[in-house]
Amino acid sequence: MRGQRFFACAARLFRHPMHAVGTLVFVMFLFMAILGSLLAPYEANEQIVADARQGPSFVHWFGVDHLGRDVFSRVVLGTADIFALAGTGTLLAVAIGTSLGLLSGYRGGWFDEILMRFFDSLLAMPAMLLALMLLGTLGPSRRSVFLVIVVVYIPIVARVVRSVVLSVKTRAYVEAARVQGESPARILFREILPAVLPTLAVEAALRFSYAIFLASSLGFLGVGVQPPSPDWGLMVNEARDSVSQTPWALYFPAGAISLLVISVNLLADGLKQAFQVEIEY
Amino acid sequence: MSKQFALILVFGLLLAACGPAAATPAAGETPAAGEPASMEPQGTLRVAFQPLVQTDPALISSDSEILVANSVYDYLVDIDPVSNQPIPRLATGWDVSDDGLIYSFTLAEGVTFHDGSPFSAADVVWTFDRLRDPAAEYATSTLYENIASVEATGELEVTFTLTAPNAFFLYDLSDNHALVIKDGTEDATDFNGTGPFTVVDYSPEDRISLEANPDYFVEGQPGLANVEIIFFSDETAMVDALKGGQVDLVMRMSTPLFESLQGVDGIVTVDIPTNGFDLVRLRADRAPGSDPRVIQAMKLATEREAIWQLVQQGYGAVGNDSPIGPLYTAYYDPNVQPPARDVEAARALLAEAGYADGLDLTLHVPNTGGRPDLAAVLQQQWAEAGINIEISVEPEEVYFGENGWLEVDLGITNWGSRPYPQFYLDTMLVSGAVWNESHWSDAEFDALANTAGTTLDENERSQAYAQIQQILVERGPVIIAYYFPQFAGISDQFIGFQLEAFAGRTDLHTIHVAP
Amino acid sequence: MLSPSPLLNIEGLNVAYRVAGQDLPVLREISLEVLPGQTVGLVGESGSGKSTLALTVMRQLAANGVVTGGRVEFDGKGLLELTENEMRVVWGRELAFVPQNPATALNPAMRVGEQLAEALRLYGAGRAAAEARSRELLEQVRLAEPRRVARSYPHQLSGGMQQRVMIALALSGQPRLLVLDEPTTALDVTTEASVLDLLREQVGQRESSVLYVTHNLGVVATLSDRVAVLYAGELAEDAPTEDLFRQPLHPYTRGLLDSVPRLGQRKEQRPLQGIPGQVPRLRDFPNACVFAPRCPLAIELCWKERPLLDAPTPERRVRCHRWPEIMAGEVSAHRGEVKPIQRAKQEVRRVLNVEDLKVDYPLPSPFLQTLVCKSPRAVHAVREVSVGVSSGQTLGVVGESGSGKSSLARSVIGLAERSSGRVELLGIELPARLSRRSREMLSHLQMVFQNPEEALNPYLTVAESLTRPLIRLRGLSTNEARQQVPDLLAAVRLPADYAQRFPGQLSGGEKQRVAIARAFASGPELLLADEPVSALDVSVQANILNLLAELQVERQTAMLLIAHDIAVVGYLADQIVVMYLGEFMQVSPAEAIFDAPYHPYTEALLSSVPPPDPFVEQKKIRLEGELPSAIDLPGGCPFHTRCPRFLGDICAQQTPPWRETGDGKRIFCHIPVEELVQAQEPVLRFDGKRRTQR
Repeated sequence: MRGQRFFACAARLFRHPMHAVGTLVFVMFLFMAILGSLLAPYEANEQIVADARQGPSFVHWFGVDHLGRDVFSRVVLGTADIFALAGTGTLLAVAIGTSLGLLSGYRGGWFDEILMRFFDSLLAMPAMLLALMLLGTLGPSRRSVFLVIVVVYIPIVARVVRSVVLSVKTRAYVEAARVQGESPARILFREILPAVLPTLAVEAALRFSYAIFLASSLGFLGVGVQPPSPDWGLMVNEARDSVSQTPWALYFPAGAISLLVISVNLLADGLKQAFQVEIEY
Repeated sequence: MSKQFALILVFGLLLAACGPAAATPAAGETPAAGEPASMEPQGTLRVAFQPLVQTDPALISSDSEILVANSVYDYLVDIDPVSNQPIPRLATGWDVSDDGLIYSFTLAEGVTFHDGSPFSAADVVWTFDRLRDPAAEYATSTLYENIASVEATGELEVTFTLTAPNAFFLYDLSDNHALVIKDGTEDATDFNGTGPFTVVDYSPEDRISLEANPDYFVEGQPGLANVEIIFFSDETAMVDALKGGQVDLVMRMSTPLFESLQGVDGIVTVDIPTNGFDLVRLRADRAPGSDPRVIQAMKLATEREAIWQLVQQGYGAVGNDSPIGPLYTAYYDPNVQPPARDVEAARALLAEAGYADGLDLTLHVPNTGGRPDLAAVLQQQWAEAGINIEISVEPEEVYFGENGWLEVDLGITNWGSRPYPQFYLDTMLVSGAVWNESHWSDAEFDALANTAGTTLDENERSQAYAQIQQILVERGPVIIAYYFPQFAGISDQFIGFQLEAFAGRTDLHTIHVAP
Repeated sequence: MLSPSPLLNIEGLNVAYRVAGQDLPVLREISLEVLPGQTVGLVGESGSGKSTLALTVMRQLAANGVVTGGRVEFDGKGLLELTENEMRVVWGRELAFVPQNPATALNPAMRVGEQLAEALRLYGAGRAAAEARSRELLEQVRLAEPRRVARSYPHQLSGGMQQRVMIALALSGQPRLLVLDEPTTALDVTTEASVLDLLREQVGQRESSVLYVTHNLGVVATLSDRVAVLYAGELAEDAPTEDLFRQPLHPYTRGLLDSVPRLGQRKEQRPLQGIPGQVPRLRDFPNACVFAPRCPLAIELCWKERPLLDAPTPERRVRCHRWPEIMAGEVSAHRGEVKPIQRAKQEVRRVLNVEDLKVDYPLPSPFLQTLVCKSPRAVHAVREVSVGVSSGQTLGVVGESGSGKSSLARSVIGLAERSSGRVELLGIELPARLSRRSREMLSHLQMVFQNPEEALNPYLTVAESLTRPLIRLRGLSTNEARQQVPDLLAAVRLPADYAQRFPGQLSGGEKQRVAIARAFASGPELLLADEPVSALDVSVQANILNLLAELQVERQTAMLLIAHDIAVVGYLADQIVVMYLGEFMQVSPAEAIFDAPYHPYTEALLSSVPPPDPFVEQKKIRLEGELPSAIDLPGGCPFHTRCPRFLGDICAQQTPPWRETGDGKRIFCHIPVEELVQAQEPVLRFDGKRRTQR
């Protein structure tokens, strides 16, 4: 029964052509992330001195960068990196943000007040500024970027979850659960959380796309993932100086960022619609 | 004999132009030789360069500041870009005493400042007394510590007395800041020089306009009637302006930008090697660098030609682990070469040194220029030999901040081009030198460096430098894979352009409109 | 039908909604006439298609609505053929519409007066004339201070005032036909009554025709000349109001009439007879009677053949195979299946005792006020009331919105915290806070909520929802609890296989049954029912009310029933409390509530409820003004600002005494009982003639 509902939901993702395209492109990237090492003809940092700065060809689909590295291989191998970084970062942010949002929305009172004022102060800052401040303190590294994603997105997720909780917790079935003496934990996770999940799934997908964007931007600014890793943002940064010579080394990773971000956004949009139908049902 | 050198290091792109001593030999192309005799100055040259910050000759540092100063003022002694030897400018000739302590200069006749007042020995004395005044704390104060006195020994004769011999004193006199100003000048930013051009208009936000000095004391110079130095803050914009014909001359640019100028109609590109380099160095006073086999393994694992091709795209020159580069034609020994790449030998050496399972190190790199690229290539090359490096790319202020660069085991430091090689040895490699970042101490090397820096015998110096190159290749804890190039692009409407390694020292007064 | 010729003539209208590429039929072959000056009530439960019909007439169908056949003629012209531009001339001047929710129909960013004047200018009035006329209109719709209202924005007006403005707007174009879609459903009864008065008066003056869409049989009985009953997209019956109420010819109409509690109808005398099942949501109209599955008189023919729309008399039409037998009295669609529900034995033991209960909701106070230690302002929802309920007894609490009736229930169960006072369950004081209450206390106190759509967790199966109170409050293991589920379902008359369903697969009535089963699962001593049927269709409502009553008798449970519908409370309760602004106005035995003397508020309340029976004579008492703010309460008697029997300063300044009447009532009023007895006559009187209002 639940499985059927899942498939019905998934089928609805493909109803709108744009959502279908978004989902397919996303799945393609997912495959690239999982099977990256099988797909990539070269290693990420393998330097083919003789081919340096060559344009796209049958051997090097996306061309070769100024250090003789195969751009296609780097883009493919970078997928796993961005998924690992943005994906796990988003997951953790969603997990923590959801817990805080549930607690804050359900308990209310001073806990809610203090937490939300604190989050407001974080949200008052542009995400990029906050990210740069944190990275300034933590120093540039993969781990720092991961932490930045988590810290930057916790308040956003918590706020979204809290707002849903506020509307759900006054529903009769939640009150019925309270009157039945259910524990707060059960009320939060069995009664309230399921109603939050559709919104949360959409929010998580959106956050994921912004996390990709953030990680890439930080890579581009040189304060994120460190060279020579095949981070897309970093690749764009490295190729920027030689854009007149090796434009392919810039345009392919830049295109990959946009494509993935757009596809995740479309997916989020599709999820939203799929869930909406599900809720109305 | 003792000598004093300015201990000034040049950091990175931002500061690459700084430094009191520059003007290395230059062997760049000259679009056309030949001096059109006694022609009236004609034509306007528009130069794109970064805006000026300082205009007082004692304080200038950037390329554009020095370019302007070199056009408005004169040096006492100049350095020939081709031979790298001192040549006359305001001084028409000089005598050196046998003990190397007294230098007497004869000054050019009929020289006047732009305000019409005549030039004399008193102006030279005033200029150098100002530059060497310890209280003023100019960059030149330490450089000229060695000068005991400067005296006007005639209307047009100046005598410098040194406290100790200095084989490179004439080079020091040609320091970027050593531009002669008028005796008693109160405001040294007034552009009242003796130089080939006078300042017509200066708007700090936009440009500085120069006009030929009709009374310039050198016959046939300047060749140009007007020079406009138009201020740009972005390299790409400068190059685009050159391509679009809005400017005629651009100097100093990144390799890809220079590449983009190739084959553009109406533009002549010029590239010369300099003696600037990225120094890969390993701390030698503690493990793992304290075992000489480790640095030998690294040298064996490095393919310098490939690095040069990838990182510098074959511009400049391939390196040989020594700061005495091929530009110092008098000292460079082309026969001394690092061993060819041998990964197996490198592995074997590492195994002997106790790193059979590989050696893990962090390579600290400033985030400027080609250094991150160099690190990426090294990482690949060394990995094959079992040297696994993690790259830490740091902003320059982090890399150089709190002297971190002097502490780390493995790092890449950029060193600017100098007019003579002794500077590198004395500040970078001898035991206890201020910036001995590798913490190397080698008695034989120290002795040779001392000999080279103090002897007045040119042959002895050459021999010492040759031996030093040999030692560095064998056991110096440094790898130099390439020497930087210097680039320029100029409209083909002009001839007589001779690019200098330090671009700001390029003479504008030798440029003419093509006939 | 005979002359005069109809103003609105609908013929064979078919309408469908296009959903995901499919046409879902909503209306089938609807034919209806509205004569000039006539008011036609259109009655039906949700899903009957009544709103769709109104919107089709207005040419305001949703974007996916399509007319698949038939004609709508207005004054002889085909309305459906007009272009949007041609409709602009018709809208407002010929046809006007009043929707259910005025808040969404008024422009929130425009002053009320300007909106009216704008409409008037559109109909050709000059600027000055439009302004004067708009003020006049606001006066006509009985808005006090029309000048102030004209300057207000919609959100500054109460729901009743907004609806009056909507009516003024609708009348501004002097339309010949007024289409009203549940215009009073969102309003309180006293407000509803005065809005209905207004409508009747305005329509009477102008001789406009009215098509009045509602689910409320009382409203049609009060207002309309004819009644058309819609069922599942078909016209079931269409007759003059008196005929329809006196002798309905369609079994569905009979069912509806039997489902609605009359004022004074009681479970132990004349139980409600609901209609089993649900209004079907049809994907396709069957070639059969659409009502057959729920019809007590269905015969084989009904399943095989669709009945035609017959005309038993020139005035009546009905779509039923068996109308001749019904008309002749040979068969009756009256069910009579539900036997009178006996009252519980008297006073077994006191279950709930409430003393001086007070509930305040503090308002968020501005920071500065907190700083100067000003005590925070609060909404005074319930003000020191005392009441008790015994086992097997039902205490009904009646009141309009803002009366504090829900807060009373919520503070008893612990969902709202009381500010002071005592609440005792079986002699043990209940802590104010829910989390402080023991498991035993919780198990003795359960609640049925208003909105069945929200009463069940949509992500849990029925079985999961039902086992929770067993596990949590009765300490059963999961397995033991599961075994109880079929019994619980059977008790609320649901088949056992419903256990594995999700709430999304149940109808509203079924959801409420599950919610009732859940509330009874822990074996409570006291059940709180907060508006348990107000969100349900009438035919379902009756079944749920009966179910509650039967379960209560079976289990001797005490019940606190909260409702705005005095008929519902009167049907089920043994004792009735009338609340106004957080205080009790009157406490009385249920039987006595409809008899004089009354508290003046009770009197007004009874006078406001439109009885679903055109033959009941009802006295007309209307309340002036708006409900005072619960933050700054009026002094003295809380009702004095609106009381039609206001005495003077004494009411405004002194708290009234509780006065006992002879028939067991207690009345909170300054007027002595004797004077009330003299002054008041019964509000309702049945005399077999069409209702007039005295």
